[in-house]
Amino acid sequence: MENNQSLDPRVNRLQLSISGDPVVVRDGENWNVFEVFHQEKRGAHHEHVGCVHAPNAQLALVFAKEQFGRRKKCVNLWVVRSADILAFNTEDEDMFANNLEKTYRDASGFKVMEKINRYKKSGKE
Amino acid sequence: MYGGGYIFDEPNKRQLKDEQLHDDPEKLAAFEARIARGEKIEPGDWMPSEYRRQLIRLIEQHAHSEIIGALPEGTWITRAPGFKRKLALIAKVQDEIGHGQLLYNAAETLGKSREAMINDLLSGKSKYSNVFNYPAETWADVTVIGFLIDAAAIVNQVANAKGSYGPYCRALERICYEESFHLKQGHDAFIELATGTPAQRAMLQDALNRWWQPIMHFFGPPDKSSVHSEKLMQWKVKMASNDEMRNQFLDTYVPKIWELGLSLPDPALRKNDSTGKWEFSDPDWELFKKVINGGGPCNKERLNVRKWAEEHGRWVRKALMHPGEKITAPAA
Amino acid sequence: MSHAINNLLTAMADDALIQGHRNSEWTGLGPVMEEDIAFSSMAQDKIGHAWALYRILQEDLGGSDPDHFAFLRNEKDYRCCHLAEQPNGEYDFSLLRHFLFDHAEAVRYGRLEQSTFAPLQPLARKLKGEIKYHLLHANAWVSQLCRAGDESYARMQAALNRCFPLALGLFEPQEGEEELMAAGVYPGEKALQAEWLDRIYNILSPAGLNLPGVEAVTPAYGGRRGYHTEYLQPLLDEMGAVFRTDPEAIW
Repeated sequence: MENNQSLDPRVNRLQLSISGDPVVVRDGENWNVFEVFHQEKRGAHHEHVGCVHAPNAQLALVFAKEQFGRRKKCVNLWVVRSADILAFNTEDEDMFANNLEKTYRDASGFKVMEKINRYKKSGKE
Repeated sequence: MYGGGYIFDEPNKRQLKDEQLHDDPEKLAAFEARIARGEKIEPGDWMPSEYRRQLIRLIEQHAHSEIIGALPEGTWITRAPGFKRKLALIAKVQDEIGHGQLLYNAAETLGKSREAMINDLLSGKSKYSNVFNYPAETWADVTVIGFLIDAAAIVNQVANAKGSYGPYCRALERICYEESFHLKQGHDAFIELATGTPAQRAMLQDALNRWWQPIMHFFGPPDKSSVHSEKLMQWKVKMASNDEMRNQFLDTYVPKIWELGLSLPDPALRKNDSTGKWEFSDPDWELFKKVINGGGPCNKERLNVRKWAEEHGRWVRKALMHPGEKITAPAA
Repeated sequence: MSHAINNLLTAMADDALIQGHRNSEWTGLGPVMEEDIAFSSMAQDKIGHAWALYRILQEDLGGSDPDHFAFLRNEKDYRCCHLAEQPNGEYDFSLLRHFLFDHAEAVRYGRLEQSTFAPLQPLARKLKGEIKYHLLHANAWVSQLCRAGDESYARMQAALNRCFPLALGLFEPQEGEEELMAAGVYPGEKALQAEWLDRIYNILSPAGLNLPGVEAVTPAYGGRRGYHTEYLQPLLDEMGAVFRTDPEAIW
């Protein structure tokens, strides 16, 4: 493309600079980050699907609609500043480690039928 | 859309330094055990600095490939024939930008800002897939890109989606879903030309002939000439070797080209039934290097267009930016 | 009567087609990725609106195949307004044009929900949600950029000054308009324009922009009668470039 003519007519209309001067994007120019939550249908939870860069929540929602709602079913979206997300440190995962052992919180921890059957059996004898 | 042919660090730099591996043997062991168990690594986890560095590199190049990859096909947006093709093409190019967005976000979770990545693209410090430095000369080129380059990208991305880094895998899951639309619309447009008028067929054959070598380049140099990156394989950063992916691509797609009575410009191309592997003439790897280093037909234009977009969009971004605000990385 | 409906639908479809094309040129070149994606979706919507209208022309009014009609006519036979024909230029111009154009669409389709020409009613209802998003997007941008410093404000005002006379061409009187009004097909261009002026004033005024007076400018008329700017023909050449190599072939 020595003559600076592009095969793309759109590009020819841009009148590209041929100066070769460096172009530098400043820090913060792509704005801050908002997390996006997608609700697939009424009654469903909003689920985290990704994030958008936006200058404020209003535009974050406008952007999220097309980046995360242009395909498949979607009835609503939430956006929230990533800075406002509070989460556990990943190394604190062990706080949850014994969950599955605490069967007293779980229906599976109670064997009702066994007891009934034992009673019925004992009554017959 | 596009992965493949990533440029990892030069072999001499790729040798992992001892202190990087052994700075905290206990943490490293736990990290490697997690990966070996098939668990994902998440942004807040401890990770070796080399893992972080190579992942940023990989995801960043992938992201750049998406937004630069929007340009060759964008060449035909205003000229796409008829409503259906036109809308599909715009939607597809839009998806590439969307993929770039997802991938830059994934890379940002590793600690490099989007702005820094864009700057490295514009300055030439960071690379993108070589294949986008070739021109889309005719409408048939768009169908070859949409069908075959996207197919090649899918082979690569499906492999990478099984990698170890959570945010990258999640981005790829969504990307692969959209790629299936790209491949289908590309294949459809490709078949339309292959089964159309003699002029349409000739146009398609010509495009195939021109794109075949860049496609063979797509997966990168053969394994024998590249230093083995066993660590990257163990860490599930690199999921399959270049030759494995190239072979998988040839195995699936060459028959789909041949069944339409089209030819490929390599008389040596054949499947060896005893090994199950495809054989082909060695593509010109010197040319591959030359194009990576800026010597391709479109390198200059691609970067100039990106520079135009960044320069002319600056006032919009600047008007709404909040100087001094602390910028947060994506949460996940 | 069918001649007048034909005129109306062709004008609406050609506006959407050309505007959609212009907007689609931004795909991959937008100021930030998120906006690039949003703007591209709306460009696709516009082209989709045109396609739907050409299909009504074909199915209900005996017109020709939408692809042929949209891409192979002579320049003289297009009915688009001059606003849509302008090249994109900078993003300020494109945004302001999008704002003015989409408010006009919202007004028009809003009224067509009650049209006595039956095929327009379901179309107008179907497009309602899409147009609602376009307005949300346009209003947010225009309102925010007007409050975002001197350069940004000046750009928006300059873009408005340039776009406004062109945008009045969206409401150029249509041939056979009285007949359509009498039959209840639509309320006529004058009524639509008045409603549009109210709507845009309600957004622009709080944003601090000065809406030029209608009497103070010369509306860019001519498009509805086939007189176009120098920018249309080159775009038409592009749009039909591949198609014209063999119009009978399937692409």
